Amino acid sequence: MTTGASMTGVPLSLYLAVSGAMFLLGLIGVMTRRNPLLLLLAVELMLNSANLALVGFSRYWNVVDGQIFALVVMVVAASEVVIGLGLVVAVFRQRLALNVDGMSELRG
Amino acid sequence: MIANLAWVVLALPLLGCIVLGLFPNEPSRALTRVIGVGSVAVAFGLVAVIFATLLGRDTEDRSETSVLWNWIDLGDLRVDLAILVDPLSVLMMLVITGVGALIVLYSTEYMEHDRDYRRFFAEMDFFVFAMLLLVLAANFVFLIVGWALVGLASYLLIGFYYDRPSAVAAAKKAFVVNVIGDVGLVLAAFLLVRELGTLDYAQVFAAAPGQIGLGSGPAELIALLLFVGCAAKSGQIPLHSWLPDAMEGPTPVSALIHAATMVTAGVYLIVRCNVLFALAPHASDVVAITGALTLFVAATIALVQEDIKRVLAWSTVSQIGYMIMAAGLGAYSGAMFHFLTHAFFKALLFLGAGIVIHALAGQQSLNRMGGLRTHLKFVYVAMAVGCLAIAGVPPFSGFFSKDDIIASAFAAGDLGVALGIVAVIAAGLTAFYMFRMLFRAFWGPEPEGGYDQHPHPSRWTMSAPVGLLAVLAAVGGLLQIPAGWSVLRDWLEPAITVADLEPSHTNELIASVLSVSVALLGIGVAYWMFAAGPARRLAYADRFVTVRGLLLDQWRFDQVYEAAVIQPGRDLGDAALHGFEPSGSQGLVNSATSLSASASRGLSRIENGLVRGYVFAVVLGTALVGIVIVLGR
Amino acid sequence: MGERIVFALAAAGALGSGVLVILLKNPFRAAVALIGTLVSVAVLFLLLAAPFVAAIQIIVYAGAIVVLFLFVIAYLGDRPVAMPVDPLGRGEPFAWIAVLGLAFPGFIALANSKLPGIRANPRDVGNLGDPREIGLAFINDFTAPFEATSLILLVAAIGAVMLAKRAVQGEGGR
Repeated sequence: MTTGASMTGVPLSLYLAVSGAMFLLGLIGVMTRRNPLLLLLAVELMLNSANLALVGFSRYWNVVDGQIFALVVMVVAASEVVIGLGLVVAVFRQRLALNVDGMSELRG
Repeated sequence: MIANLAWVVLALPLLGCIVLGLFPNEPSRALTRVIGVGSVAVAFGLVAVIFATLLGRDTEDRSETSVLWNWIDLGDLRVDLAILVDPLSVLMMLVITGVGALIVLYSTEYMEHDRDYRRFFAEMDFFVFAMLLLVLAANFVFLIVGWALVGLASYLLIGFYYDRPSAVAAAKKAFVVNVIGDVGLVLAAFLLVRELGTLDYAQVFAAAPGQIGLGSGPAELIALLLFVGCAAKSGQIPLHSWLPDAMEGPTPVSALIHAATMVTAGVYLIVRCNVLFALAPHASDVVAITGALTLFVAATIALVQEDIKRVLAWSTVSQIGYMIMAAGLGAYSGAMFHFLTHAFFKALLFLGAGIVIHALAGQQSLNRMGGLRTHLKFVYVAMAVGCLAIAGVPPFSGFFSKDDIIASAFAAGDLGVALGIVAVIAAGLTAFYMFRMLFRAFWGPEPEGGYDQHPHPSRWTMSAPVGLLAVLAAVGGLLQIPAGWSVLRDWLEPAITVADLEPSHTNELIASVLSVSVALLGIGVAYWMFAAGPARRLAYADRFVTVRGLLLDQWRFDQVYEAAVIQPGRDLGDAALHGFEPSGSQGLVNSATSLSASASRGLSRIENGLVRGYVFAVVLGTALVGIVIVLGR
Repeated sequence: MGERIVFALAAAGALGSGVLVILLKNPFRAAVALIGTLVSVAVLFLLLAAPFVAAIQIIVYAGAIVVLFLFVIAYLGDRPVAMPVDPLGRGEPFAWIAVLGLAFPGFIALANSKLPGIRANPRDVGNLGDPREIGLAFINDFTAPFEATSLILLVAAIGAVMLAKRAVQGEGGR
């Protein structure tokens, strides 16, 4: 990645703006969707936005740590999806509605 | 070596108690007997070994301290779990384990008709352990521990027949009064820490004369507080009222705890703390006067009791009054001498009375006795020996020890002479009431309607202890003979560091003549009134009805306490219960619970179980925090 | 200038697909829209000198995770779920308000940031995101996190197996 001339590179602030916007989109998804599958997809969106910020800062400080962290986040995301989808399947097989509101046994 | 043996002595009864208490099922009675009697008897054997070893040593070399471990270390204040083996504690141990073993052996037969056989022996062993801890402790902390444990054991044993309301009430009374004494002891210990910074006997007694002035405020206060403990434990006026009620316990318990050992703990404490009492002349006077007052009042009350055990109980209070008076006047070895002989003859009398009660199927009233000497010859002889001993007829033991005290009193200045005269009068009363009991139980006609059960003689397990104690009560006084030898005083000398009051020979002579003649007079009157003409008893009872009423009410101490302490306490409690409790403390609690309950009910509506709601809450909260941070900059 | 154009396109793709992800009611379509976001973010990673992370993003995220999603969606069937009345339906505007409330401080913070050069062209960084550099960093500095991630994966795998097993039993299977 060569960044020489004045108007060729992209400043960190723009990346952060995009990352924040993605995060808020994911948040809205989590709050408004009742289908657990869609909810998980929105969570993926939020995780990705975090990754974007991490990698952006890695570039900014010129250290590799952020990218390492992003990779770890991916691993966590993969695990989360596996478990989340496992739960969705399990709930489905118990012939329950695919509705996160139904899973409220812990209410006060 | 000696100290290690003493640790074993201390551990044996505890072990017996634990084994009996934790036995998985009800052990056979034979096993209970072996453990219950064995642990105390073996302990006595070991004490005898300790005693013999100490006898073989030089006088200065007879004291040994042993530390098991350091219990509290607070910088300046250090408290060890330590025992002190010295002539005084060995003497106490001999009596506790020796008389204790005899009484436990006696109990194997006496208690055979009771269902809680095992519990009885476990508690007896526990008492022996607590009492040994009390006398062996090498500092005030473990003295207080033993003191309190002894109170607990006494509570348990008085309330042994827990299905009898009077026994439970008596146990509670004993416990409460004893706790008053415990508080006094604890306060005394606090004062000692403040004044001397230590609770170790050796250090306290070494430092006290130098750091606490003779007759100074702290010295008097410490001595008085210690005496509060002694008075409660030893049944001295005004804390005596629990002791006669304690006769609700089984008779062996009365013999061991409420006659021979526990109630003399107060005497032991005063003798042990002789240094502290020597520093407090006024407190010592209080002690002596209290003792004299107690011995007189209790002797008068004993004149009219109809229950054989209550006669003995009041007699015990009175006899301990002798010891306390002697200790207060500074005749420490005299007090211990009387403690020793009293342990013999009072245990003998209680055990003898126990045989009578046992033979009559639990009947304790003198009115239901009479003429028993033909049926229970052995007990009659033994109890006659006991009565002669307590009345102070030579050459029985009580003569020597009581005269020692009276003679010492005559040697102790004006106050001593006054108290000595009281003691002589009380000696006459003692002779009278003891022989009244003897004559009414064993002489005279049989009661109307016959005995409750045909009296049967006891087996050897009950007779042997009584016989042995009768021998000891008869000859025990020969330990110390005026103008002859004074074995006990010499033995106790290392433990009594202040000057022991020794009567002069003139005083001995005056005291002997006085007390013997008064005693013989008392016996004579008793014979005239109860044995020669039993009808006279009722005639005189009618003539002195006012005095009799006062004495039967035990000088109305209980009524005064009822009116002055108990009823106001009840009123206060009632007022608090009805006036303050509903709106005050309970109201506070109720409103607190209802407040938190309604708050929780409100909050639980937020916990609706909807994940998205929770997310919303998190987001909203974060947003608010973010806004506050951003705008606050 | 070219980089800026690429960035603009990729950012627009990511946000646009993101909006689709949260707006589409059909899970299958939403998952496909997520692929668009993931690929766009991967392009942004490339611009950020992170080619290795970008590659992993494509392979693991778009390739494995989303495919897993699609499998599950296909398995469950593309059926319309009969939803009862949303108990929080009236609360949806509040969700937007809360999110905007979160966006507001974030925007202020970003706009007022005193981080040097945050709004300027980034520095030159050499071979920052090389696979070689990443590998060396993992081996030299981040061994423990690396092992921790392996543990997480193991736990997740076991958990998935357990869930699947219980689900089968719940169905009356083996």
